[in-house]
Amino acid sequence: MTIQIESKRYPVEDLSHAIEFCYQQGWTDGLPVVPPTERAVQAMLEAAGLEPRKQVAFITNRQVAVTAEKIAINAVMAGCLPEYMPVVVAAIEGIADPQWGYHGPATSTGGAAVLMIVNGPMAARLKFNSGDNLFGPGWRSNATVGRAVRLVMRNVIGTLPGALDRGTVGHPGKYSYVIAENEAESPWTPLHVERGFTPEQSTVTVMSAEGPHQFYNQLSSTAKGVLTSLCEDMKHHGSTNGQPQYCVVLAGEHMRTIANDGWSKKEIQQFVYENTHNSVAHLKRTERLPGAVTAADETTMRPLVPSPQDVLVVAAGGRAGAFSCYIPGWAGGKKSSQSITKLIQDRRV
Amino acid sequence: MAMEILDPTVEPRKQPLTFVPRPDSLTGKRIGLVENTKFNSDKILGKIGEILKKEYGAAECKMWRKHNSSVPAHQEIIDEAKRGVDVVVAGIGD
Repeated sequence: MTIQIESKRYPVEDLSHAIEFCYQQGWTDGLPVVPPTERAVQAMLEAAGLEPRKQVAFITNRQVAVTAEKIAINAVMAGCLPEYMPVVVAAIEGIADPQWGYHGPATSTGGAAVLMIVNGPMAARLKFNSGDNLFGPGWRSNATVGRAVRLVMRNVIGTLPGALDRGTVGHPGKYSYVIAENEAESPWTPLHVERGFTPEQSTVTVMSAEGPHQFYNQLSSTAKGVLTSLCEDMKHHGSTNGQPQYCVVLAGEHMRTIANDGWSKKEIQQFVYENTHNSVAHLKRTERLPGAVTAADETTMRPLVPSPQDVLVVAAGGRAGAFSCYIPGWAGGKKSSQSITKLIQDRRV
Repeated sequence: MAMEILDPTVEPRKQPLTFVPRPDSLTGKRIGLVENTKFNSDKILGKIGEILKKEYGAAECKMWRKHNSSVPAHQEIIDEAKRGVDVVVAGIGD
């Protein structure tokens, strides 16, 4: 099948010139890209069963239609294999969802990246890492799918650093920020099943997110003990600009400790919600809320997240080590950006 | 070996924008103030409103609060502004 590609074409001398040409055009994230040839782009589209002109998303504030063709070109540049394309497409659908609220997290000085959590059988089939060195380098699917999404944000939607991406400090997750849930070893209901999908379906959840904050507990052998350490770290993050959602990523040792006490994800969410409140007095004393401390402020408690369900619990990370992490959502808060789970679709006939 | 590569970018859709004519004077005009929910934005807009009344002769001020700072003013604000004010002051700041 030959699909009509309509994007402008540029002749280049050879591979090395092509890579430099992409730099000169401002098309890269700072790393070299794979030059997007028509053949590679067609393979990407065929793997997803998408016509090039198919509009995958529309970004209202930019008045930009994101077509399958442009996603495919950027996915090639990012180094994706063709079979990753449906995951990239689902993630783009996610960040274009009005509830995700593209303009805020993409543009904000708050510097959020797009955290992507892959669930379902496709995660293992495409070899997404859910274990050791979870957020680190070494896995093509994790590294290139997130990169493809960021290149689409840059090249198609115009989210250019220093222009329409004004993150003050940003974080390395803006290169790629993709994990899978360790469903094979997890004792808990997978994230996508909690959100209404079947275990056989595959999904990607997108969340506007700060970097991962690691926490440590090697002492406790109880769920309550481990999670108390987590909450003590989390509550002092204390975002006051808006209450965001948080993702809690529990790695092997902590996962087993908590599960051995019989705690479900719901119980984890409830415990984390209840134990991460800050008093208004504390927030005022630490200059996170304005005004003088009143007597009532000492007993007026402010939850870190709007509700227990706003703590996304994910089982992932290495088997060994008493470390896990929490990931604060973008500082704009849930009212401005909510995590979205989208089905990864095989549209091939 | 010579090769051909494809453009990954798009041009944003162009749409014409028409601005209403600016008033020659603010004397007697009704001022709308759109507050973006960030700390102190209500205070600075309130101050601007006071200056517009005191120094420029504006008749009155009305302030609205957006749902959050990342979204455009919602329809209720737009509708009320159309009906009830002559000039709107909006902005974003941290």
